[in-house]
Amino acid sequence: MSVLAPDRARGLSAWMRGKTLAPYLFVLPNMVIFGVFTIWPAFNGFNLSFYDSSNGRTYRPVGTGNYSNILSDSQFWGVVQHTVLFTLGFVLLSTVLATALALMLNAQRRGRGALSAAYFLPVLISPVVVGIIWKAALDRTTGLVNEVLSAIGLGSPGWLVDSSLSLISIILVGTWIHLGFYAMILISGLQSIDTSLYEAARMDGASVWQSVRLITLPLLRPTLMVVIILATIAGFQAFDFVYTLTGGGPVGATTLIIQYIYENAFSYPIQYGLASAAAVILFVVVFAVTFVNYAIGRRSESI
Amino acid sequence: MSTQAPAPAARRSASAGLQQPAWTSTGGRAPSTGAVVRATLLIAGALLVVTPVVWAAVSSFKTQEELAQTPPTLWPNHPTADNYTSGLQAFDFVHFLTNSVIVTVFATVLTLAVNSMAAYALSKYNFRGRTVLFLITLSTIMIPLQVILLPVYQVISSFGMVNSLWGLIIPPAATPTGVFLLRQYMLTLPDEMIEAARIDGAGEFKIFLRIILPLSRPALAVVAIFSVIWRWNDFLWPLIVAQDESVQTLPVAIARFASQQAIPFNQILAVSVVTIIPIIVIFLFLQRHIIAGLAQGSIK
Repeated sequence: MSVLAPDRARGLSAWMRGKTLAPYLFVLPNMVIFGVFTIWPAFNGFNLSFYDSSNGRTYRPVGTGNYSNILSDSQFWGVVQHTVLFTLGFVLLSTVLATALALMLNAQRRGRGALSAAYFLPVLISPVVVGIIWKAALDRTTGLVNEVLSAIGLGSPGWLVDSSLSLISIILVGTWIHLGFYAMILISGLQSIDTSLYEAARMDGASVWQSVRLITLPLLRPTLMVVIILATIAGFQAFDFVYTLTGGGPVGATTLIIQYIYENAFSYPIQYGLASAAAVILFVVVFAVTFVNYAIGRRSESI
Repeated sequence: MSTQAPAPAARRSASAGLQQPAWTSTGGRAPSTGAVVRATLLIAGALLVVTPVVWAAVSSFKTQEELAQTPPTLWPNHPTADNYTSGLQAFDFVHFLTNSVIVTVFATVLTLAVNSMAAYALSKYNFRGRTVLFLITLSTIMIPLQVILLPVYQVISSFGMVNSLWGLIIPPAATPTGVFLLRQYMLTLPDEMIEAARIDGAGEFKIFLRIILPLSRPALAVVAIFSVIWRWNDFLWPLIVAQDESVQTLPVAIARFASQQAIPFNQILAVSVVTIIPIIVIFLFLQRHIIAGLAQGSIK
């Protein structure tokens, strides 16, 4: 193709008038960023998991040593357990609540804008600030939640200091953050359902519950799959609000996988090997879970 | 407005759960039990969602003694703005706000530019390698930054971009979802327009700039909204790139501020409240577009 014309003002467009070259130039910037900051690091990350380093500068090859180390690391298994429990609880709770909320909000006419805005509020707040707000609200002695609970005689549980409760706390806060967003996605799914189906069902004497169960939920399935996949990924990647809410404590009870990777890679004592092995494992797990979700979604769609 | 004869209860409650408006402010029909229950649940839920934020905002006006008081007070006895003045003295809000704005604006513009160009090529040109490039783009959806944190950090550190705003802005800028969304939208634009412009002698880049971009505004808006909310609130990547205070964005700076033992919690609350305000103001202006756009964007 022609080379860059010396006349700069018209140069670019003259150069790109060649239709064969144009598409490559259009994709180039995006692909360069992809290549340098995603694709190359992805392969390199896999490679890196066979090396260890304690300072991030000098590396020594350890073969599969990182994997055997991490698989025998009891802290890692604790982290896996918390992450899986958190993700399960979060996906289940947020999907069920978001579906209920979407059904109700979609039927609501009066005050709908204000209600949507209220439910959407947490999406806008930086998760770091969310953590701070809930740390205040869930404080055992001075928090809003226990103030209400003790007023109605339910005592004052240690939401953030009791290790069995703290995981429940981060599930609740995680749900609080994402509920509005997931409900909005489900509402746009609901609105794509043909209303004449409901007319027909009503004519046939179907109850509300029957039309929800037999029309809405089956037709909402693709959208529900989207929400479940998004929630699963969000669950495995949860880090920011937990960081300011519990800091991963008490005694590691809410340390999730991203925090484990972050701490091993960036805070002392640095254990790059463990961090990169954990990252590869996380990648494989998220990929597999998303794929299975997607496959199930596809199959049930074809039924 | 005459009151209509109430329809059979079953029929009314049936329509309540469905798409039909159960009752409207102009209709004379009395609301059904189902509608009342639904409205009550919705309002109670909304209060539950909003209350902690409002409570934190109110608490940020309490004195330190009152904040530590047991049982806690609901409303500040002696409301004071001291937390704000002293908090904003210890926390250089304007500086971190500037960093956040720079990162959010530049990152969003960069994302829109590179994503829309790529989407245009992938939707409107037939060229060798198109399918492969599109598949590569799609597959990177499965590689979130969180799982390649270390190797990406190594890349930016070899470029000397640690502790620079570019290190925050560039690496996550080429979003696969943005390319995908824009491509799907551009596929719906008629090819004839592009052909006609070519016959009129317009260059390829000019066609993109003058015809494609203006027509893609709805899709660009969705990508922009996603990008702004994500970049404004992003934490993990800035946390590892911006180790130096001079380049820290608001979330990183607040997290650091909150982790200092010496800072009283009432100041942390005050600073947190200040950071919420800008994004809520923007949201109130653009609420309809944001909610609809985000929901649409995630489905596609």
